[in-house]
Amino acid sequence: MHKSDPTYQLERFGLVIVWLAFIVLFGALRPDTFLTWSNFSTIFGSEAVLVIVTLGLIIPLTAGDFDLSIAQILTLVSMSVAILDARMDLPLALVLPIGLAIGALVGLMNGAIILYFRVHSLIVTLGVGTFLHGITLWIGNSQTISGVSPMLMEWVIIQRVFGVPIAFYYAIGLAVAIWYMLTYTAFGQQLLFTGRGREVGRLTGVAVDRVRLTAFVLSGLLGALAGILYTGTTGSANPSSGTFLLLPAFAAAFLGSTCIRPGRFNPWGSVIAVYFLVTGINGLSVLGFRTFVQDLFYGGALVLAVMISQLVSGRKDRGL
Amino acid sequence: MTEEPTPRLVLWGLTKTFGGVRALDRADFTIAPGEVHGLLGTNGSGKSTLIKVLSGFHAPDTGALEIDGRAVALPMPLGRSELHGLAFVHQNLGLLPEATVLENLIAGDHERLNAWWINWRAEAERARRLFADHHLDLSPSDTVADLSPVKRAQLAIVRAADRVQEHRSHGTPGTLVLDEPTPFLPQEDVRELFVMIRRLTARGVSIIFVSHDIDEVREVTDRSTVLRDGKVIGTFDTAKSSREDLVEAIVGRTVAVDRRVADVPSAAPAVALRGLQGDVLQDVSFSVRPGEILGLTGLIGAGHDEVSMLIAGARSALAGQVDIGGQTHDLCRMKPADSIAAGIALIPADRQRAGIALDLSLTENAMLPRIHGSLFINHRRNRDSTADLMRDFRVKATSPDQPAAELSGGNQQKLVLGKWLQLNPRLVLLDEPTQGIDVGAREEIYDHLLSLCASGTAVICATSEFEQLEIIAHRVLVFDRGRIKAELKGAEVTKASIATACYETAEEHA
Repeated sequence: MHKSDPTYQLERFGLVIVWLAFIVLFGALRPDTFLTWSNFSTIFGSEAVLVIVTLGLIIPLTAGDFDLSIAQILTLVSMSVAILDARMDLPLALVLPIGLAIGALVGLMNGAIILYFRVHSLIVTLGVGTFLHGITLWIGNSQTISGVSPMLMEWVIIQRVFGVPIAFYYAIGLAVAIWYMLTYTAFGQQLLFTGRGREVGRLTGVAVDRVRLTAFVLSGLLGALAGILYTGTTGSANPSSGTFLLLPAFAAAFLGSTCIRPGRFNPWGSVIAVYFLVTGINGLSVLGFRTFVQDLFYGGALVLAVMISQLVSGRKDRGL
Repeated sequence: MTEEPTPRLVLWGLTKTFGGVRALDRADFTIAPGEVHGLLGTNGSGKSTLIKVLSGFHAPDTGALEIDGRAVALPMPLGRSELHGLAFVHQNLGLLPEATVLENLIAGDHERLNAWWINWRAEAERARRLFADHHLDLSPSDTVADLSPVKRAQLAIVRAADRVQEHRSHGTPGTLVLDEPTPFLPQEDVRELFVMIRRLTARGVSIIFVSHDIDEVREVTDRSTVLRDGKVIGTFDTAKSSREDLVEAIVGRTVAVDRRVADVPSAAPAVALRGLQGDVLQDVSFSVRPGEILGLTGLIGAGHDEVSMLIAGARSALAGQVDIGGQTHDLCRMKPADSIAAGIALIPADRQRAGIALDLSLTENAMLPRIHGSLFINHRRNRDSTADLMRDFRVKATSPDQPAAELSGGNQQKLVLGKWLQLNPRLVLLDEPTQGIDVGAREEIYDHLLSLCASGTAVICATSEFEQLEIIAHRVLVFDRGRIKAELKGAEVTKASIATACYETAEEHA
């Protein structure tokens, strides 16, 4: 599989082609509702949160770890921001750094437990995620908290550039940053070796434990950022907001790893996969399908994505 | 001993070829009922191939097997050997440490056990009877991880014996194959196993005892067969053979290979190692001169293979220091990054796991040591450097972007060599550098090592291939039970003398 190979090019852009085919299909069936700029700009803006969660996931995934707590980091930070801002009237300049710090701290804790006790990340982050959800319900009294300052909403969803809410551009900016980090920095290569050749990396002087810890801190930070944007998008925080984002984010991360840079978790693949999935769901609901279509689509896409990536890599036994 | 009319097991004309190399060449082999039969030979002599034909792991090219006078079809279907009264205990014993003695004992006993319901109480009772019958102090409820090494070995052997004792299809006791069960056991524990072996043979069980330890073979076996280069050299009545007879049969008169190294100019040591202590190694000290290739070798469990991992900081030593480049490093605290900074390069034995990342490209693999801390990796330059490196080290591949998995073992190893040698190390550590590599690539690797020497780099090469050492080593240290037992220099470095030194006992260490 090499760069000049046409099948490789087809594989790289396969998902984009299917995405465009979806748009054409739904557009032909419902041109008046689906194929409108307002529909698309809404999709682009509102799903920025999912893009950021997915980008957060692919960092530990590249290092060979799962962060199942990221969606609950989002919920906890979203709730904390709402409480600190709406209930306690603290200035945003203070609230936002606190929110990010919570995310980084949870990431640090995930990494510390996983590395010190040598337990699988899947189990640790599953537990930590549920624990965080408990904290969220506790501090928010299991209620939706609204009334956050309009300033936050202004800078997340109300401001638009070319008709698309500004949150979308934050997500794209992050994708650029992560793309640069994974592609052009030594840390990106170290993440890759930590995930795909841990012993090789370790013997070549990569501090694999520190790399894994950093990956969890970064995913925690991105989860927190997604939480802030979530609060800004809806103007409120509800205690179950993140719960429905975890599976779509995993589906997008794995689906994204089948395109653009096939075989690797990559930010542009993730972005495309998020919008592909959301377009599909939006299109189907415009056609009149009800909410169950979300579960069918996200669940199906996740399983399909891992099947495709195994087919592409020649059905290797990954020992998972 | 007198030959019984019906041998327990006979193998005739066993031949097995792997890619043009004859691992077994018309080997004949006969075991009498109730005898302990030793199987001796160096690495690659064919003894493990012979065992694997018996277990059904390998299908022989030609050959016939007869057990208790009845012909048994070869290849033996995997997992069916117990039906023919054959059971195996390998060096790793095949026990699950987290499970109990009883769980391990009955694991895989499908023939006897009810698939839907296990009567644990009855099984425990049966196990207690079995252990009492064999005079073993084992409790069914103990966890295997908590057992001493000798008890684990006893459990593995009694399990095997149980399976073939039960085998009553033609009413005779079976054959146990003990494949190197002793190298990690202390002397007195080995005796305990020998007592157990003797009790088994008293019941008519035959034992094939595979070992590298001539003294153990002489102590416990009735007869022994020596294999060399796939051929049966002879079967000896052990009591009537001296250890010299056996050593000579094992080593043979070897044809001299071309030695490619002369003397090293005398100089101050480039590297000095002091008091190295690891899992097996005990207080090992030696030094290497600039431009010298030092070979480390020994038999299984000797500890020579531990040295490079400890010097490179891949594992922490229990004690030990290394002097290199005018600095002293504590090997208890050495990390791989420290050893790289000190000018040490490690080319590990486990290439597929520790040498090269198979999913990643040749460029990524080769450039990893050079991108340290970079905030802008110049991919084009890295690709060009990798292409240069591939040319210099004659790595055959279509492109530097290819995943490493697509390369042959020899080309992967040359890339690993290039990855490390581009850093101009002071000391290069190699662990079984030519394992699974074709002859052509092997010669190229030797060429690189010799040119390294010419440039004054110190090289340490740990290997169990004596011939390789004869070709490229200036000096060889032979290890035994974690200590250096012999040093061979210059013209003494021959395959035969290394083998003799390996099989020689060092009484003071025993």
